[in-house]
Amino acid sequence: MVVDLDRCNGCQACVIACQVENNLPINDKNAFLQNRAYEWIRIERYWEGDYPNIKARFIPVMCQHCENAPCEPVCPVFATYHNDEGLNVQIYNRCVGTRYCINNCPYQVRFFNYWHPNWPERLQNQLNPDVTVRTRGITEKCTFCIQRLRRGQIQVERRAGGELNDGTLKSGNHMPACVQACPTNALTFGDQNDVHSPVKPYFEDVNRYNIHHEKERKTRGYRVLEEMNTKPNVIYLKKVDPNLGGGHHG
Amino acid sequence: MKLTRRNFLAWAGLSAVGAVACDVIQDEELSLQSPASLPEDLVKGRDNWYATLGGQATDGEGVIVRVMEGRAKKIQGNPKYPVNQGKQSVRSEAGLQALYHPDRISGPLQRTGPRGSGQYRSIQWEPEALDILRRELRARSQGMVLITEPLRGTLGMIADRFATSAGGRHLGFEALDDTTYRAAIKGVFDQDRLPDFDISNANYVISFGADFLSTWKGSTRLSTAYGEFRQGSKRQTQGSRGYLVHVDPRFSMTAANADEWLPIRPGMEGYLALSLAYVIISEGMQAEGVDVDALTDGQGAAALAAFAPEQIAGQLGIPEQLHEGKSAAEKIRDLASNFMHHGPSIALGGDSAGAHTNGQFNLMAIYALNYLAGTVGSGGGMRFSPGSALGNLPDAARVGSAQDWAGVANDIRSGRTRMVLVHDANPVHGLPASMAFESALNNEEVFIVSFSSFMDETTALADLILPDRVFLEGWGDDVPEPGPGYEVIGMQQPVVNPLSDLDPRSFGDILLSMAQEMGQESVLPWTSVEEALKAGVEALYNTGRGTSSHAASADDLWNMMLRQGGWWDENATGPAPNAPSGLLSDIAAQAREPGYSGSGDFYLLPFAHNTLMDGRLAHIPWMQGVPDPITTVTWQTWVELNSGTASQMGLREGDIVSVATDAGSISGVLYPNPALPPNVVAVPLGQGRKVGSEYATSGDSRESSNALDLLSAGHLTESGGLAWAGHRASVSGTGESLKIAKFEGIFPARQIGHTAGEAVIIVTNH
Repeated sequence: MVVDLDRCNGCQACVIACQVENNLPINDKNAFLQNRAYEWIRIERYWEGDYPNIKARFIPVMCQHCENAPCEPVCPVFATYHNDEGLNVQIYNRCVGTRYCINNCPYQVRFFNYWHPNWPERLQNQLNPDVTVRTRGITEKCTFCIQRLRRGQIQVERRAGGELNDGTLKSGNHMPACVQACPTNALTFGDQNDVHSPVKPYFEDVNRYNIHHEKERKTRGYRVLEEMNTKPNVIYLKKVDPNLGGGHHG
Repeated sequence: MKLTRRNFLAWAGLSAVGAVACDVIQDEELSLQSPASLPEDLVKGRDNWYATLGGQATDGEGVIVRVMEGRAKKIQGNPKYPVNQGKQSVRSEAGLQALYHPDRISGPLQRTGPRGSGQYRSIQWEPEALDILRRELRARSQGMVLITEPLRGTLGMIADRFATSAGGRHLGFEALDDTTYRAAIKGVFDQDRLPDFDISNANYVISFGADFLSTWKGSTRLSTAYGEFRQGSKRQTQGSRGYLVHVDPRFSMTAANADEWLPIRPGMEGYLALSLAYVIISEGMQAEGVDVDALTDGQGAAALAAFAPEQIAGQLGIPEQLHEGKSAAEKIRDLASNFMHHGPSIALGGDSAGAHTNGQFNLMAIYALNYLAGTVGSGGGMRFSPGSALGNLPDAARVGSAQDWAGVANDIRSGRTRMVLVHDANPVHGLPASMAFESALNNEEVFIVSFSSFMDETTALADLILPDRVFLEGWGDDVPEPGPGYEVIGMQQPVVNPLSDLDPRSFGDILLSMAQEMGQESVLPWTSVEEALKAGVEALYNTGRGTSSHAASADDLWNMMLRQGGWWDENATGPAPNAPSGLLSDIAAQAREPGYSGSGDFYLLPFAHNTLMDGRLAHIPWMQGVPDPITTVTWQTWVELNSGTASQMGLREGDIVSVATDAGSISGVLYPNPALPPNVVAVPLGQGRKVGSEYATSGDSRESSNALDLLSAGHLTESGGLAWAGHRASVSGTGESLKIAKFEGIFPARQIGHTAGEAVIIVTNH
């Protein structure tokens, strides 16, 4: 996935789309008061500067699906592992809730179910039957909406000669829910190995010039906490501020 | 208990610490299951996606809804719908929870206790409920008022015709009404429809007050354009990233995304706009072909001499620290020069800029800049959509102004209005308490019928409650406003049936059947909304234009419209208005400074909540639980004060503060905002609901207040709208404090830039 911070306006449409698609429990007031509210994708807001020369910066943060995922080796029951598509996946019914993975994730994108999820009876009609509802005591996280990708795969396999790629994912409505929702098109999802994928140039650029040669990069791409060498599969594109350092727009 | 891997590990763990606590662990807590609870013999089927419209929460976006086994599961933007092009607002999914909300009114109710007591009995639709409605309509319809959400399209037409033919009137309701904005657009462009802004092709945008990335009209469409404005594919090749300036006394979401934010004294936006116009004309920077003489009645820059930057800069209240070592006047001159030299440029304004005693002047001055930029009706500028393709469909929602509502309240008190019908509108909560609309309705002489699906402050006063279907269960259509620049009619179809324990009926169908029984067949000849829609589709087919040109018959067109979500004709574009003669000199002659109601130390700036809006979505738990983009607060009413000001007053985050104006006072939880001007107090609307779903009413009065109660009902704009941004307020601590329910801080704020010690988000010169 590629996240363009210059497009993101912090509107939270991705957050709610994710909650609906993935059967996340309703974050009630107590969840916030007890610091236990969670969102698989969240918008972090950071202040820069002082009034009146102040900026609010938004950054959407979701599981980075790291190549060297720090959450994976610490799981005692192999509930979290790397699949052959490069996704960091979580097997809920293996998880025993040690929370080692949460502790080891530098991006804080793994969440523990402190409560049994609870919806009023009628609201249960809305739950997505493709996604299990996680019980109390286990860890969960962003899956890049694997159920949507699988539906795309099944649909393609049914058609002779079909191929699962960025185009078929998009036209078949199988992109992750946050990507589909984002009004500013700040999120782009794709296959790094697909030569036609819009995400490929960014991954190539960031991979070619590692953190020590970051200034040579041709794009605005970077990985968060790159120095940890977790090799996230999410690339961020830098926010552009034409006024920084006395510059002018144009 | 079955011995599973999971159980085994859990028990092994418990044994290891010697804990024997079987009764603490309940079976269901250790099992993974889906509460979706599909019957066991049901084979999981394929999903169907239906195109429809997104309802009031989204201002009529086109959506597609995923339906499995007769249940709606997900709402997404309709990729084919021209207005929102497959994208959706944060409010779009609210429709699902409205559909399956535990607090939906299940069937008709008749009041049994005193008005407002909440005592109702269930009755049957036939014959009881409809008999009562019929009887009361016959007896009281003369002078009645039909209050609805802003309605366009067929339902708007039915409501208009029903109310008029019954001897009454139909008014749309919005707490922050758009009457002043409409009056300004009419005054500058002589258009009755609201404009669209081609931000994706603009290079420079100055926005005055309009929070167009959050809650302003057409925010999803404008957000998509904003993404292109920043980093669209054309921009990347040409290196011309769009530049956004936001002028606003409050640090809104749009201000947060602007390249430059100019805090200004509330209500002075029009003065700044005319000052820009003065610089443009006096330095001859206007776009080629612009007839300055015509715009200024032959006076040229002299017509605006009173607004020269040197004359007015000191009154605007722009902080000196923003001047970059220049004088305030030089800053204005720079702004004017950039606006003209980096086009195509757009000047747009709304929200707080138009909510002052001089709001219409402000907005007219702002929009007149577009003529000087030469971008009215051209790419990268403002454009207007044509009216409805079907002449009889209202293409602009008629919304009542504060003055109109005061008139309605007077009519009820004086007995001229003896019947009020309400549909999906809550004026008792949405009008300032000082208007005393509630006491006008709380009157045994008036008969109130509510067609709402949910209990709210207005419905709780009703004599008869006839719950409507929610939009995912009903027929409808829409002429989107703002449109995409060409003719569109959106189609709404029922994607699911109501659940078996609910018995709602279509509001439009009831109006139609009542009209026929009252002998109004000539005006409303259809028996159902669906039939009215089909008649409209037949007329559309006969135009042979747009989508119709691909249809073999009217039936074929109907099916096409259901499949793709509507009808459109990209060739039927809107008008490109010409500037009225003497526009700028006329606007300059109307200039006057804003008047403020009250005398507190702070300018009071209420604003629409990013997800709850004016409170209409307060009953939706998802909308309550989404953090505000700037403060990250949820579920509560927060009061924003500048961090430094709060600290000087000895106030800290979470302190309960009282905000008071001449009209009233409210309480809220303090959120010190480092970006708010020191002389401003900002409070979101949306909370403070007293009646209705527990999700809307669970907060106590210290943390859940209605900011509209602070407004003076008689403080109006030139066009009769509420001057809701023109109040002064005092703020004081109450000595109490509460923990603030915010998202910020739940996750440790680690630096997530790409190198340690560097800024969180890397910012570079472009």
